[in-house]
Amino acid sequence: MPVVAEVPAPEKVLINSVVKNLTALAARAWAKRWIITFTAPTGTGKTTAIDYAERTLPFDHLVIRCKQITTRYTMLQAMGLAPGEKWTNHGRNWMRASELYARVVERVRERPYLLVIDEADRLRLDVFEILRDLWDDSRLPMLLVGNEVLTEKINRQHERLFRRIRVRFDQRPLREGDMCKVLEFMGYELVDEEFALLWKLVGGSPGFAEALLENANEIAASQGVKRGIEALEGAVRYFPTVRKC
Amino acid sequence: MREIVRRAIQARPELTAELLQRGMFGPEEKAAMLPLLSKEGCLKGGVVGPVQFTTLLAEGDAQFAARAVLRKMLGHDELTWLDRLLKFQKPNGKREELARIVERALEGRTRNARSR
Repeated sequence: MPVVAEVPAPEKVLINSVVKNLTALAARAWAKRWIITFTAPTGTGKTTAIDYAERTLPFDHLVIRCKQITTRYTMLQAMGLAPGEKWTNHGRNWMRASELYARVVERVRERPYLLVIDEADRLRLDVFEILRDLWDDSRLPMLLVGNEVLTEKINRQHERLFRRIRVRFDQRPLREGDMCKVLEFMGYELVDEEFALLWKLVGGSPGFAEALLENANEIAASQGVKRGIEALEGAVRYFPTVRKC
Repeated sequence: MREIVRRAIQARPELTAELLQRGMFGPEEKAAMLPLLSKEGCLKGGVVGPVQFTTLLAEGDAQFAARAVLRKMLGHDELTWLDRLLKFQKPNGKREELARIVERALEGRTRNARSR
């Protein structure tokens, strides 16, 4: 169920441009009752920003983290049922979904909140239909967060939802200086040579950089040495897709 | 030759060696695989850490990786890493299926994921 943030924000979040933009858009979507999309490449820090927003937004909100197995029914369950609550009506999923849908609409009308969906690019088309219906029936404000596929998917396959989106925000990858700060914040001490290689390979994607660095750390540990440029170059061998760049 | 044996032989040597060490293969599979692996020098793979192991799975054959997950060769932390690493991949049918299997494994479900 939607909640207002009560828990203090996690201490270990670097307030960079991704976090700032995402929280500002969340506040705007809530204030204006809009649907907003926020897209950024994988590994930029969207999920971290959502975790931070979930703990700090000063109004009612509900965060849904998408999975490959997210269906129309599981989506409505997340919105309409309290944790641990079971929906006991018998019938097929689609019948149960229609009843759950009515319950969700009623609740939103009584007490509106902001719906934030992480990895919305993974949503199936029928779930996008539900989101459009929810907005039509209850003016539920939404912030849909995902990678570049999200915009493409909605533009190409879901014109009716596309027309209802008021703001489409495309987050640029982190700049070199910001990326350096994020990696430092994550606890990685890098020499210039290592950072230059990382920047060349993954650009402003701290998530991808972390994967490479963790591999490099393991390679270095197995050789009993401190991580260096050789270990990082060794780690690149594990990522054939990066190597081709 | 069994499918899994063929995939094990074609996989990166470090990965096959690690999975052999973790006991993924049954006696029949081992019997079919070991002569071929030792012939090609595939058993010389060094020790790999958990992140390297999951990276090899994420970047390699998705169906072989799915088999490893379904045979419970990965701990919870390794599954979490694999889940993250799969997001960096270009999506295709097999990778999406693998991502579903990993998510199900993280939720404690052990059986195969039903295709849509």
